[in-house]
Amino acid sequence: MENLVTANIRSRPTRAFISILAVALGVILMLVVGGIVSGTLDDYLGRTMALGSDFILQPGGSSILYAFSDASLNQKLTGVIEELPGVAAVTPVLSKFHAKGFGLVFGIDMESYNRFPGRLEILEGTASLTGDEVIVDQAYADAQKVKPGMTINVLNHDFKVTAICRPGAVVRVFIPLETMKVLNGTPDKVTIMFIKADPKADLDTVYATLRDKFPGNSILRASDPNLLLAETRLPGLAEFRMLVVFVSMLLSFMVILLAMYTTIFERTREIGILKSLGASQRFIVGMIIQESVMICSLGAILGIAISEVIRIVIITRFPTLQVSMTVGDLLRGLILGLVAGTLGALYPAYKAAKMDPVKALSYE
Amino acid sequence: MGAMGEMKDGASAANAIETVDLEMTYRSGRVDVPAVQGVNLTVRHGEFIAIMGPSGCGKSTLLHLLGGLLQPTAGSILIDGTDISKLSDAERTAVRRRKIGYVFQRFNLFPTLTAKGNIELAKKIHGNGVSNPNGVGSIFEMLGLKGKFNFRPSELSGGEQQRVAIARAVINRPAIILADEPTGSLDSRNSRTVLRMLRDLNKKLGQTIVMITHDSEAASTANRVVEMKDGRILTPTCGYSYEPELERVN
Repeated sequence: MENLVTANIRSRPTRAFISILAVALGVILMLVVGGIVSGTLDDYLGRTMALGSDFILQPGGSSILYAFSDASLNQKLTGVIEELPGVAAVTPVLSKFHAKGFGLVFGIDMESYNRFPGRLEILEGTASLTGDEVIVDQAYADAQKVKPGMTINVLNHDFKVTAICRPGAVVRVFIPLETMKVLNGTPDKVTIMFIKADPKADLDTVYATLRDKFPGNSILRASDPNLLLAETRLPGLAEFRMLVVFVSMLLSFMVILLAMYTTIFERTREIGILKSLGASQRFIVGMIIQESVMICSLGAILGIAISEVIRIVIITRFPTLQVSMTVGDLLRGLILGLVAGTLGALYPAYKAAKMDPVKALSYE
Repeated sequence: MGAMGEMKDGASAANAIETVDLEMTYRSGRVDVPAVQGVNLTVRHGEFIAIMGPSGCGKSTLLHLLGGLLQPTAGSILIDGTDISKLSDAERTAVRRRKIGYVFQRFNLFPTLTAKGNIELAKKIHGNGVSNPNGVGSIFEMLGLKGKFNFRPSELSGGEQQRVAIARAVINRPAIILADEPTGSLDSRNSRTVLRMLRDLNKKLGQTIVMITHDSEAASTANRVVEMKDGRILTPTCGYSYEPELERVN
């Protein structure tokens, strides 16, 4: 049977297309922005885990985004930690945010850093990190077209690339700790310390010892991804994600509200005809909601398809950026698009259902 | 619908329509405007009546009251035995769905649907499967619309559009057809065709029809003409026939 809902959509193709596009935009916003946040965080946590440390010592109240933490750990603590029972290795790190590569730069002591399982594994060049030398990972090298022997500018300072390492050693750019301290103006301070427990030691006991020894500091258990994520303090991350979802839903909601509101005024006479034919309020509400759901479904599907294209473009053109879009995320995008659109159609549908049939029939 | 009306659905009432002391007053600013005053009208099953009168005499208001689109200020309206005057909007809509078919001056077809789609929509709204046993095809054939199934209203002439509107009105076998100046937008040839259709429906299928018209020729198609002025019926149930005109229509 011919369907009034689809016929209505087909009869106003421009508006239908714009509505579909606007719903798609909301879904894209949610999936891509949310995907970049999740992807970057997951990638970061993954690389942090890949170093193979068991604990991360940070100043109290710090987040896993080390760059936003103060360099307020005294480097001399390294010696104290090394002496603690059950500790096999410690490496101090001073981190800073590098705007050009949109990532963190680690100032490391390569000798202690390489005692960890996820040490810098050199793929190309010479394993040297002193003075104005820099080591970058393969993803950074690919993205920035960097080769050993080249000079690159990091943190407004020129460095000579000595080697390319495999990705997964927490960050993508490494400079000597001593150089970083000079650049940062903090001669004795570092941001974090990675700690590796002795394989024979009980992790809970080592954790308790560290907490007792450094009560004012934050100690993350890096061996367990769930614990690491739970203990990671990312300021406003949850709120940011909620905001993105809210803005996306609001966009879809407003567009559908406006589109359907305009539609029912354009179709006032048709609604009067429906009422004269005996259409119930439920029938009329259902018709408006169906139209909205159809537009939102198409918008959400288009949004998902475009988001996937954007994801592929991002990871192809910017290898250091990660965009996470799981099937669950895509389903959430679909559902949120539909829910927002349906909510947006409710008021116009109610207005249509309550329309005076006699006035509606005489509407010009 | 439990409290609805005086007669259960499906039971046969003596009259298709019966109004008693029907009043309808509109509020315009601070002034009450009486549109229908003390109307007592009875239409028997199978009757075809025409309501005539000058513009603003209350014909359309009366038709809307009979169709349950308006609720009267006072009095009662029995539609096929069901008193709709005290019913809620939803209950009146349900009565309209089951018992009334509308034909309008401006056809009021859905422009986005084909002729068949318009009729299927009426069936869908009716929703209980009690559609005309002759089916859409037969109705189309009877109304001279064969081959016009998939035409949109914009592709049909005015006369054809009105015939589609008539098909839509009768497809669910309503007890009553309410026609609001059905020939008002048609030329004389198409007017005659539409009137002949209405007369055939009345004579061949026993369809009760209440038609509003300004046109005495159109009124002559009916079995009975009721004249209205200033919201009142002037000539209740008087005989009124234009047989020569009828013959010409035939």
